[in-house]
Amino acid sequence: MAATAEMDSLARRRSRIGTRALPYLLSLPALLVCIGVLIPFFTAVYYSLQRYRLSQPWAREMNWGETYWQLLTDPSFWNTLQVSLSYTVLTVGLQLVLGLGIALLLQKRTRLNNFVSILLLLPLMTAPALAALMWKLMTDPNFGILSYFVSLIGIEDFRWASSPDTALLTVVLVDTWVYTPFIMILLLAGLRSLPRQPFEAAALDGVPRSFVFLRITLPMLTPYILTAALFRLLESIQQFDIIYAMTQGGPGDTLMVFQVEAYLNFFQSTNVGRSAALLLILWAITFAISNLFIKNWLRLRERTHEEV
Amino acid sequence: MAGVELLDIVKRFKNETVLEGVTLTVAEGETLVLFGPSGAGKTVLLRLIAGVVEPDGGTVRLDGRDMRDVPPELRNIGMAFQNFALFPHMNAFDNIASPLAARRKTAERVSEGVERVARLLKIDQVLTHRPRALSNGQKQRTALARALAASPSLLLLDDPLRNVDAKLRFEMRLELPRLLAAEGATTLYVTQDYKEAMALADRIAVMFRGRIAQLGSPAEVYLSPASLEIARLFGDPAINVLDVTPEQDSQGPFVRLSRLRAPIDPGLHHAVGKDCSLGLRPEAIRFVGGETTGAIPVTIEAETPLNEKIVTLVTTARGREILVSRPSGEPGPAQGQAHIAVDSAHALLFDRRTGLRIEPSRDDADVRGAAA
Amino acid sequence: MEHTSTAERILRGIAIGAVVLFFIFPIFWILLMSFQTNETILRNPPSIAFVPTISNYVALLTGRLETAAGTLDISFMQNLKNSVILSVSSVAVALLLGVPAAYAFARHRFRGSEDIAFTLLSFRFAPPLLIVLPLALYFQDVGLADTYIGLIWVYQLICLPLILWIVRGYFEDIPADVEYAYRIAGHSWFATFRKIALPLAGPGIAAAGLLAFIFAWNNFVFALVLGSADKQPVTVGALAFVTASGIQFGQIAAAIVLSIAPTLALAIYAQRYLVEGLSLGAVKG
Repeated sequence: MAATAEMDSLARRRSRIGTRALPYLLSLPALLVCIGVLIPFFTAVYYSLQRYRLSQPWAREMNWGETYWQLLTDPSFWNTLQVSLSYTVLTVGLQLVLGLGIALLLQKRTRLNNFVSILLLLPLMTAPALAALMWKLMTDPNFGILSYFVSLIGIEDFRWASSPDTALLTVVLVDTWVYTPFIMILLLAGLRSLPRQPFEAAALDGVPRSFVFLRITLPMLTPYILTAALFRLLESIQQFDIIYAMTQGGPGDTLMVFQVEAYLNFFQSTNVGRSAALLLILWAITFAISNLFIKNWLRLRERTHEEV
Repeated sequence: MAGVELLDIVKRFKNETVLEGVTLTVAEGETLVLFGPSGAGKTVLLRLIAGVVEPDGGTVRLDGRDMRDVPPELRNIGMAFQNFALFPHMNAFDNIASPLAARRKTAERVSEGVERVARLLKIDQVLTHRPRALSNGQKQRTALARALAASPSLLLLDDPLRNVDAKLRFEMRLELPRLLAAEGATTLYVTQDYKEAMALADRIAVMFRGRIAQLGSPAEVYLSPASLEIARLFGDPAINVLDVTPEQDSQGPFVRLSRLRAPIDPGLHHAVGKDCSLGLRPEAIRFVGGETTGAIPVTIEAETPLNEKIVTLVTTARGREILVSRPSGEPGPAQGQAHIAVDSAHALLFDRRTGLRIEPSRDDADVRGAAA
Repeated sequence: MEHTSTAERILRGIAIGAVVLFFIFPIFWILLMSFQTNETILRNPPSIAFVPTISNYVALLTGRLETAAGTLDISFMQNLKNSVILSVSSVAVALLLGVPAAYAFARHRFRGSEDIAFTLLSFRFAPPLLIVLPLALYFQDVGLADTYIGLIWVYQLICLPLILWIVRGYFEDIPADVEYAYRIAGHSWFATFRKIALPLAGPGIAAAGLLAFIFAWNNFVFALVLGSADKQPVTVGALAFVTASGIQFGQIAAAIVLSIAPTLALAIYAQRYLVEGLSLGAVKG
């Protein structure tokens, strides 16, 4: 009797430890990956506070904020910041306008519209680095079809990514080709999930369409627009694949965005400290945006899951 | 040995206390109905007993054993949910078989067991259907069958008739007591329907705001509700409530209804002078001829047949609205002026401030003293 | 909206046509190029009339390129193999780690659970080089440099948050009562996870897996930094191929086609779930 009672309580205690520890056990691997991310992050912070060049290991020492100070007083850093911001503003702005326009165009659930919206997924599912290569082939001065088209309208010797004047335009074009569908399908999902009553009421009252769009559609779509725009902002300011595959930041320093600059600093000039500092400044910018994004994203997520 | 013992159960969600100190004992084999408005904490209480929600305080004992840290699968409970909670990817057979399979029965015993409850609940024809292909009534029966399949020692039924249509609800209300009696299991049954509660319960626990407000047999709760709140929930049409202040004369305590003296239980003499609410069941009021003593003149406003009875809305000379109920066959005035008589001696008296019922004192000396 | 005039319908048609042209033309053109010899590619003016050849694909598949200048070895098939190995194993690992964690986050709100989930999420948006460059130095020290294991580990950075947040949403959408009912019927939580939660979230898990695969396949920067030639996937390999072969445009086009075909095919197959995946579970399509 006593023995069974003891065993009983033992089994119970075990089950208690089991149920309490269970969620931790289940998420342990995710936790480990989390730590695995935090370690290199803090290492980067540490590097950024050092004078650290791979080519001069003997000169490695803590210099605290000096790397950052050097960055801030270096015109090439301001060029990087300016190029990154231009790239971000241009791509996100262009894609928002285009994406919203296309979403409105495809809003009705017809077969054609559904088919087109699936077709438009293809650029988005193309690896950005490969997309850049595709456009590189199409803009080749010798046989590129786009170069040919441009020459047809009388512009000879348009040099696309190899000219400092048009390089930014070219990569923005590639980015727009890849990522406009992202904004489009998010906004399309948003548009199609909007309640119908306000629109039906407006149609009955004969409210002009421009008014409906500005006063009903846009405000109701705002959470989707914000989420999509912030998401793109986060990726755009960090763009690496397209620019690196297209020009490696060139010609000259025309396209030296943050991550390309940091990459080249690390591998070409082996300046680990400067590279880390650059990336941390970029991280600070993205962290601010990502907090905004996550807030919006969570709100949208809650709304979506409540509807279920 | 008791079936279920709850001692001072406390449960909070975030800052909201949903159960504050619930203590309750359910005897083995008893059917106890938890009755109350939504949000009273009935469902949470069931879940605590089932072990899928943990209490923040207090003790749950089943068959005398403390259930702390006993996971739900080891509690030998059958439970039916309000929304059925059937496993959508399994057919009805597998749904019902799940408690049997968990108890490692042989395939033969499992199908025997499933067929037994399926026959009992008349769903043996649809056992191969997925929940999606079942009607609401069949879903509900499948959910009940699943709860009963392994003959658990404790049945928790969370408003199982809530989501089925009126006809089915009526049928099940007749069928369930027999079913539960046949199973012999201790049963906790949650409902918001007082008729269901009256039909099924050995005892009813009325819950308000996370507490048990009254515990008693159906007759006790109906005839002697502990508070006005409970009285209002029990009975259809709802109880008439009139503001009164009891007075007393040589014949004992009384209240004034339309200036007429209406005697109340002599034991209520201690309520004299208090602000009270008088609860009059519509069944305790009847139409009478105008010459009857104590007849109150009223105006008929509307008449509604309600199943086996007819409910009439009347207004008194002072404009108070009163519901009168009479059995269907009985003739009554259709419109215009009429008179009613009130069986005020059996009326319920509540303290208007606390809402609690004022109990007539049964002390003989008191009664004699009051009569003197 | 009912009164659409003919003019408006025509305008709409033109607009949709232009959109399709802009977004599909590059893929179409590269596909055409991949079936052409250098001679037809270099024609001026360009024309879509040509005799298709599969020589570019043959060269890629056999790994040998016969040119006037001699024979050139192409390691592109190795890149393709690497892409398959890296993407498949990364997704497998992410599912193995992520699905139980997603279940824990969905069902057991425990201390720190949200912190972990959000840290993973916020690092999904951090500059990848910030994590990968220090790792490049670490990996040298611990012998993970230029190994599949090291790369698969880093790929978790994109796969795991994706799986975690999408699958979590699917688990949260399963009514808790259904799981409670199974446990009360007498099953352990693990049996409940296996027999109730997993099958019911099954389609969502599959979709998350497909998406994670697409993102892993399309990744460029991880392998660029951490892998050497024999471990690099197609994204990096194609770029190296351009630099190495220079003027073999037909083969470059064929390599691009082979590299993007798997993800495009999967995308069309899984398109119903893409909206949800791309928004990390915040928007349903």
